[in-house]
Parts: sequence; C-alpha cells; structure tokens
Amino acid sequence: MHRFIAVTTSLMFLLTACGSKPASDSPKAVPVVFASTTFLADITRNVAGDRILVESLLPIGSDPHSYQPTPQDITKISESQLLIINGAGYEHFLEPLLENADGEREIIEASAGINLRRDAQGDHDVDPHIWLDPNNVILYVENIREALTHFDPDGAAIYQSNAETYIAELKNLDAWITEQVNQIPPERRLLVTNHEALGYFSDRYGFTVIGAVVPGTSSDASTSARQMADLIDVIKSSGAPAIFLDEVENPNLAEQIADETNVRVVTDLHLESLTDGSPAGTYIDMMKHNVTRIVNALK
Amino acid sequence: MTTLTDFFLQPLSYEFMQRGIIAAILVGIVCAVVGAYVVLRGMAFFGDALAHTILPGIALGYLFSGGARDVLFWWALGTSVLAALGIGAISKNSEIREDTAIGIIFAGMFALGIALISTVRSYAVDLSHFLFGDVLSVSTQSLWLILIFGGIVLLTVFAFYKEFTTLSFDPILAATLRLPVGLLNNLLLTLIAATVAVSLQTVGVALMVAMLVTPAATAYLLTHRLSHMMMLAAVFASLSGVIGLYLSFYLSIASGAAIVLTATFFFIIAFLWKRTT
Amino acid sequence: MYPHSHHKQDQPILDVSHLTVRYNGHVALEDITFHLHNGERVAVLGPNGAGKSTLFKAVAGVMPPTSGEVNIYGSRPRRHVCIGYIPQRSQVDWNFPVSVADVVMMGRSAKLGPLNWPHKKDWDFVQHALETVEISNLASRQISQLSGGQQQRMFIARALAQEAELMLMDEPLTGLDTPSQEGILNLLDRLKQENVTVMVATHDLEQAASHFDRILLLNHHLVAFDKPQAVLHTENLLKAYGGRLRPVDGENILTVDDCCDEGEHDHAH
Repeated sequence: MHRFIAVTTSLMFLLTACGSKPASDSPKAVPVVFASTTFLADITRNVAGDRILVESLLPIGSDPHSYQPTPQDITKISESQLLIINGAGYEHFLEPLLENADGEREIIEASAGINLRRDAQGDHDVDPHIWLDPNNVILYVENIREALTHFDPDGAAIYQSNAETYIAELKNLDAWITEQVNQIPPERRLLVTNHEALGYFSDRYGFTVIGAVVPGTSSDASTSARQMADLIDVIKSSGAPAIFLDEVENPNLAEQIADETNVRVVTDLHLESLTDGSPAGTYIDMMKHNVTRIVNALK
Repeated sequence: MTTLTDFFLQPLSYEFMQRGIIAAILVGIVCAVVGAYVVLRGMAFFGDALAHTILPGIALGYLFSGGARDVLFWWALGTSVLAALGIGAISKNSEIREDTAIGIIFAGMFALGIALISTVRSYAVDLSHFLFGDVLSVSTQSLWLILIFGGIVLLTVFAFYKEFTTLSFDPILAATLRLPVGLLNNLLLTLIAATVAVSLQTVGVALMVAMLVTPAATAYLLTHRLSHMMMLAAVFASLSGVIGLYLSFYLSIASGAAIVLTATFFFIIAFLWKRTT
Repeated sequence: MYPHSHHKQDQPILDVSHLTVRYNGHVALEDITFHLHNGERVAVLGPNGAGKSTLFKAVAGVMPPTSGEVNIYGSRPRRHVCIGYIPQRSQVDWNFPVSVADVVMMGRSAKLGPLNWPHKKDWDFVQHALETVEISNLASRQISQLSGGQQQRMFIARALAQEAELMLMDEPLTGLDTPSQEGILNLLDRLKQENVTVMVATHDLEQAASHFDRILLLNHHLVAFDKPQAVLHTENLLKAYGGRLRPVDGENILTVDDCCDEGEHDHAH
C-alpha cells in the first residue's frame, strides 16, 4: 500500500498547490520558493524559517532519476520566483519544464562550488549525490542563505542566524555518523548499492564502494548480464556483507545477486527523498536512518 | 582450446545465467509449439495484441501488491486469459471486422496500462523491463511457474492435438464431426494467453509476438508435417534463447532483443535456403 | 461425447421441409422441400450464388436454418456424424503441413474422441478408404503435391473414413480435366455399392443427366427435383438460370454461361 500513500500524497500536494493560490490574496503574502526535491526543501526551510514558504516540486517517495513531470509541475514553476536545485546534472526532469514555463526566476544550484566526483565508469557522468555527505550540506546552506538574502534582503539577519544554528546541527550529525561508523570493523566497510549513490558518503566516512547493481549514477540505467556477473564476482572476492537499496528501487536484480552470493539485502534506505513523518521526515533524520541501517547490516 | 571452453562455460558459472538460459529454453519450446497454430491460423496480430493488453493488469498488480515478480505473474495470467476470451467473443459477435476489433482493444488496453503506471511515478525502469524482457531476474520461483504452466500448456496441446489440427485445417469438417468447436477455440485462445503470460519475463511485451511466430514460421519453411514443424520450431526457439543469452552476456545488449534477433536470423537463413532449392 | 444417433431405417436418409436460410439480410434459400432415398445419386444444379453451398451446410448441420427443418433418418443433423462434407478445392489451405493420410484420418476424429490416439482399426479404415479411391500410393504426400483429381479423391476418402452415409460434394468436378472428371464420376458408382447417398453440386448439365438418378435444380428456391429427363426442360432452366443461357448450334441444346457471376472462385487447379 506504500504506492497508494505516494499517490494520495501527491494528490494532496496538488490540492495544496491549488489551495495555496489564495494565499497571495491574504494580507501578509508569504512568498513561495520551490526546491526541486523533498530533502532540499527541508534544508532550505531550516534556513528560511517562517519568512518564506518552501515547497518541493517532487512528491515524497519519488525517484528523481526517473521522475516523469506533469503539466501541474509547469504551473508550479511558473509561479515560482526562486528555484533551489541540487545541480550537478541531477534534475534532468527540469529541463523541459523550464523551457515551457512562463515568467522568470532565479535558479540556485545548492552544490555550487563543491568538488564533484565522477562515476565509476570514469569520464561519463558527474555523481550528483552530494548531499549524502553532511559536510557538503554545510556548503549548500551557505549557498542557500546567500540566495535567500538576495531574494529577500530584509530577512538577512534571520537567515544568517538560522543558517548558523542548522550548520551546528549538521556538524553534530557528522560527529555522530563518524562515531557510528567506527562500530564497523574496517574490513567490512564495503558498500554495494543499487546505483552509485554513496560515493561522497564513502569518501567522507572511509567506506569502499564495491559496485552497483545498475551501473552509473542513475537508477534509470539498465544492467547487462556481464555487468551482473562482474558484480557477483567482486562481491564474492571482497566479502561485502550486504546490498543496499533505496525504498523506491526495484529489488529484483539485487535479490538475484544476493541469492547467488549469500549476502543481505537492505531495502529501506532513503537516499533521494524524505518520508512522510518517521523515519526520515527531515534531512537529518534521513541521514540518521540510513546510517543506522548501514551500520546494523555491516557491523 | 581452453579459451573456447571458457567461452562457453563462463556464463554458466553464474546461477542467474543458468536460470535465464533454462527459462529461455522452456519459454522457447512452449512458444514454438503453440506458435505453430498461431502461424497456421494467421493469428500473429492477435498474439501481439494479447501481449499488449496485459499491461493494465500488470499496472493493477503493481498498485495493489508492489513489484514482486511472482505475484505479477498471476495478474498477467488472469488478464491475458480474460483478454483472449474477450477478443474472441467480440470478433465473433459483432459487425466489426476481426482485425479492427483486435486493434481497438489492444490500443485501448495498452493506453489504460500506461495511464495507470504513470500515476505511480517511480516505475519507469520496471515498465521497460516489461516491455523488453528481463531474463536476468528470473528467480527460482519464476522458473517453477514457467515449468509448471508451460508444462500444462504443452500437455494440453498434446492431448487435443488432433482436435486442434482438424479445427485449424477444416473448421467445417470439425463442425460436421460435432467437435465442440466453440470450446476448442476458447481453449486454444486460453493456451495462447497462458503462453504469453509465461513468456513475458524473458522477451517482454514488445517482442512477444516474435517468439510465437518466428521459430514456427522458420520450421514451416522446412517441413511438410505439423508434428515435425512443432519439434523443429522448438529446436530453433531453444537455440535462439541460448545463443541470444550468450550474445547478451558477451556483447552487453538487451537479452530479449538478442534472442529475437537470433530467431530472425534463423528465419532469414531458412528463407534464403528455400529459395535456392 | 460425440453423438451417435440411431438411424431409423423407416425414415428417409434426408428429409428437408420448408427450409429457409437467411443471413446478413440476404435470403440464401427459401422454402425448400424434398427428400432423398438411401443410395441415391443426386446432382444439384444452379447458377453461382444460388445457394448450393448453403444447402449443403444446412444439411450437414453446420448452418442453422432460419425456419423449416432438416432431418437425417428422422432426427436433426447435429445428432449425426454420418454426413460427409467435401469442400470446394479453392477453399482449402493446401500449404497446411499435413499428408494425405493425416487428412483422411481427420475423418475418424468423431469416432476417436479426445485424448485418444488412432488404433489399428482406425488405420484400417483409412487404408481401406485410400484403396477405394485408388490413392494408397500417395498416403504420405503433403497435400499441395496432389493434382486436382487426387485432391478430390482424398476428400472422398476422408468421408469414407468418417463412415459417412450421406456425402455432400461441393463442385468436385470444376477445374478438372475430362479424364479426371470421368474418374470421379466412376468413383460415385463404387460409392453406390457401399450404400452411400451422394449429392453433388455441379455445373455440367450433360454429366448431371448421364450419371445421376435425380437432379435438384436450385435458385434460392426449388425449381425442380426429378429424373433428369423431367427436369432438363427449357422452362425449368430459364427459371433457374435466368439470362445466363446461350443457345448452341441451333439445336435445342443450352449451355450455361457462368463466367461472370458474383462469388466466382479461382479454378487454378
């Protein structure tokens, strides 16, 4: 029934979007800023506080890699004056929407200025999963704070203090993660995922990425038989204990590989979207949930 | 020589390849035998339409029970049997020509499936697996389902072989001999539907018709006896399955497409050979 | 599972009573009444589209009457499996991968029932049938390798294997050369010895007159049904064929010209 929740939630979202139109007639008009994804919206809200209404384009539980936009999304974008995106090529789905939307808006890449990884194939794609290292999100917060200040100069001081508070929380999160990861014996700090999502995370916290079921940094690609065979070989030779999947990903191929290699399959990470309430209602909760699942599987 | 043996043995050292190859062979045999009747009765369009009409059933399966491959098999089976009998009923009872009726239902059901799937945004990848096949993720349970239902289809064809053949060759004779023509027709439609459901995982909806038609058509060119035609078709289909999977492994191309291209290659060879003799 | 109706010997083998067949808004047959005696050979004459095939299908129980009755030995056709329908050669898929023996064996399907494979007794029937029509040597040929006359004999053999007592032959002589036609007509004599009743649709008035006991002249309704001399009068023929007659040689011999009717078949064989 999880899909029904996703469908009803998106429906509710649409209704909220329609319902929020009259807000512009109310005496104190709260400007609307859109973030591309749910976790970006959460991060932005932590900086914006009450001064600005931040909404997510993508509904909860969707996979941004394979998201198919609807005409409603064009409407939303047309209404926005500021759009916060992850950048690094993550928001493929935005291109046709931006072409077709009226009006003008500023588009802020939250990941501007961060050193980007490339995917395992070498020179193909940039890995966009930057937010999975909380230290990068500190830079996100800086970029967002600057953008909001530019958009609404009167709130500069508030944004500054919100940002500082949130950055402190992010630093606590980083320390907590490091402590958790230390429970895993070094030889078991091996990650196999459905697609290459944990690159920045691994770099930061000392994991090795063994491989991914679907090659590349998008869940939208397809696997060949040879790639599956190679992954099976490398899992066997490295002794990787588990394969990790986002909850929105199809576990069929991972389960095939797990059968043959006798590893666990963890299917409830939340890497690209928040959940409605627990266990990943905010970015920080999302990271804590993921780390807990990873550590429990590997230690 | 060791490299040649390596070449053949390496893919087989992986369980998923072993299961995929067995699935491709089993599916090939069932499609070939049922496909003989499809070819002789001119039902290729019907077979293609049937594969497409399954999509909304799959979509409902996703909506109600997630993406578990084995649950989806039952949704596919149920939908295809209903669709087959429905198409059969409509083309018999209405003024619209049979191919028109089939075309309307086919397109409408397929569109319904796409509409349903588009409400659940995160299944683009799975949709492509259903359209083009996903022989890499044949689980042991899937293999059992293919074996059991494929076996039922083959046994039924064997049991009613002379009735189906008589009906296909001369429906008027069948009527004068008081064979239960309506029942037999519906039974054949059901067998085709079951074959499509069983085979969906290996080649997918888009290429399903090729597995029903191409090996049987190849055999048709090469033999004058129906029983030989079925056996020869089964051989071609199995070979196409195995070779296709090896091609997929070594060349990194989609498995369903590789199988169908191999089967088509065999057909072209047989066609050219026939012309020169 | 398959019907085996008793043959009431006091009833005529075929009794047609006020038979009307209508389909697609088109009246194929209207108020046809006649009956046949056991062992009779009847020629069915009429222009193309006159309803000859429809009559055969109604008699065989394949097409339901719109009104009226058909009775075989006193009961409905669908209760019998003793009616052999021999199709027009142009309606057959000759590329179907079956041999002559396969096709003749199909005639035994009713006796066999499902899930049964042919026994020796069935093979004996098939063998005997092939010998009767003199094509035993062709038993394993694929059917496209036969001449027109051989194809016709094969279907007759099938009806014999079926143990048919009433055979309905739809234009068996069309498109055959004269020797082949003579061969088939002689075969009909042999069938009479096997006590088979035969109805043959044909266009050849001369053959109809010389080889058959009675002629049924049809043009959607029954124009005449009697011995050849009684039927083949100008008046009857005009009623049946309308404007499709041509006088020949100035004598009172009329030939049917039926080259330009609707539903003309391909006589390529």
